[in-house]
Amino acid sequence: MVRGSSQSQSSSSSTSRPGTVGMAPRGSAAAAAGMRRRRTTSTSSGGFSGGGGGATGSNMLRFYTDDAPGLKITPTVVLVMSLCFIGFVTALHVFGKLYRYRSGAGA
Amino acid sequence: MGGGFRVLHLVRPFLSFLPEVQTADRKVPFREKVIYTVISLFIFLVCSQLPLYGIHSTTGADPFYWMRVILASNRGTVMELGITPIVTSGLVMQLLAGSKIIEVDNNVREDRALLNGAQKLLGILIAVGEAVAYVLSGMYGSVSQLGVGNAILIIIQLCFAGIIVICLDELLQKGYGLGSGISLFIATNICENIIWKAFSPTTINSGRGAEFEGAVIALFHLLITRTDKVRALREAFYRQNLPNVTNLLATVLVFLIVIYFQGFRVVLPVRSKNARGQQGSYPIKLFYTSNMPIILQSALVSNLYFISQLLYRRYSGNFLVNLLGKWKESEYSGGQFIPVGGLAYYITAPSSLADMAANPFHALFYLVFMLSACALFSKTWIEVSGSSAKDVAKQLKEQQMVMPGHREANLQKELNRYIPTAAAFGGICIGALTVLADFMGAIGSGTGILLAVTIIYQYFETFEKERATELGFFGF
Repeated sequence: MVRGSSQSQSSSSSTSRPGTVGMAPRGSAAAAAGMRRRRTTSTSSGGFSGGGGGATGSNMLRFYTDDAPGLKITPTVVLVMSLCFIGFVTALHVFGKLYRYRSGAGA
Repeated sequence: MGGGFRVLHLVRPFLSFLPEVQTADRKVPFREKVIYTVISLFIFLVCSQLPLYGIHSTTGADPFYWMRVILASNRGTVMELGITPIVTSGLVMQLLAGSKIIEVDNNVREDRALLNGAQKLLGILIAVGEAVAYVLSGMYGSVSQLGVGNAILIIIQLCFAGIIVICLDELLQKGYGLGSGISLFIATNICENIIWKAFSPTTINSGRGAEFEGAVIALFHLLITRTDKVRALREAFYRQNLPNVTNLLATVLVFLIVIYFQGFRVVLPVRSKNARGQQGSYPIKLFYTSNMPIILQSALVSNLYFISQLLYRRYSGNFLVNLLGKWKESEYSGGQFIPVGGLAYYITAPSSLADMAANPFHALFYLVFMLSACALFSKTWIEVSGSSAKDVAKQLKEQQMVMPGHREANLQKELNRYIPTAAAFGGICIGALTVLADFMGAIGSGTGILLAVTIIYQYFETFEKERATELGFFGF
């Protein structure tokens, strides 16, 4: 894959906040396309709801996009944590069954 | 930083304990995003099938039945709470911030972080509160029946599931995935429901021999087994009490109509002030507030149902309580209460066209209620969420954008011509589509379908945008 090129380009194109400007005018066509794209982002966010407070208005989209002080976890940890939780509940079920079986036999 | 006491600062001590997904420090490639999204979805699906450990029973009336669709929750499973905690906390914080009860300066980094933390903290607190309330209210059997140990285990499971949903949502929103977790989970839940109703292989014995629950399967089953093919077809298309083929077709039709309307928009040309020649456009969509009106409307209705049911069960003789709603146990879905009188009845969709013809006043009242509620909520929502004409004008001004042919001061006036109209009219359209879907008996209720379609459409847009960005890289 063209990993190298994509990485070099990434920093300029990744926009963490849709509200901000500061688009350097590089090539008018590309800039205009970028602008249009961004414009659509901000409108669709105006209507975007994602259920309840999800993300509405440009300020809503900014939720979660900033770094806040807190217990930092990587996405992998989140996924592993969820899987562990699922495993834990399943284990509970299994042990619950075993325990009931055991105590039923003992009595 | 202005001095004085601010509510938001109360959150600060908790900030360091809240789990926080790291922001991506690099651009996450499209493929990776898809993988993250799929894994999150998988976890959600497993969680919504995995039964809670330690529960005794989940029989009896389910007071939250009406909210399950929009809250992506499944009864008796780990996802019992679904996305309720996030949605509620998001809604509450949004309303508080929008109505200026708590002051948030969006330009201050710390304020944003605090609001963010407050929302998360509130979400976790709501999850804990609801879990405790569920267990204590005896939804899984009374506490003495469960035993204290199991009761605590159930609470822990529910809380942890709530935290996981919050983390997954954050993970997806922070740029590792596509869209937001909330909408992904709602859409999945509804789609799952529709697919199940269409292809479910469970058989139900309803007096005339075993029938398949899934509409499509039932169609073929009836066509093959019955000798009278015309009767079989009619049966498959019009059978009551189980999903039939007409319902399925109605669902597809509503889907297509909504997609068609999504494209309606007014495009306002805008131009950058400092960089000459930069043209842009600001599209104002017909569905300006998207599915927000129906979410709010159904939240209102489900709360009303909930209160009315509780009151009716306790004081069924009271005149005022009866005015609010009379409830009866449905003969089809076991233990489910359906409204048969009072306000609750009139704001419920008529169950079929025949029912509509029998009670035209009911249908009319429902229609008027839906349309006005949706329009009203839509107009309120743009004010609350910061997408009103004033906010958009300010936003455009911040970005140094002007509309050609109009003075800068006129921008708001010009936007004001379109945005409130679009919001109100869009709200009415959404309401009308919901009513239409309900009247045609679309699977998964009108609200559900509308939610699913709008969310899927948004996903589609995101998908295209991601693709375009990806292609942009190779183009350079």
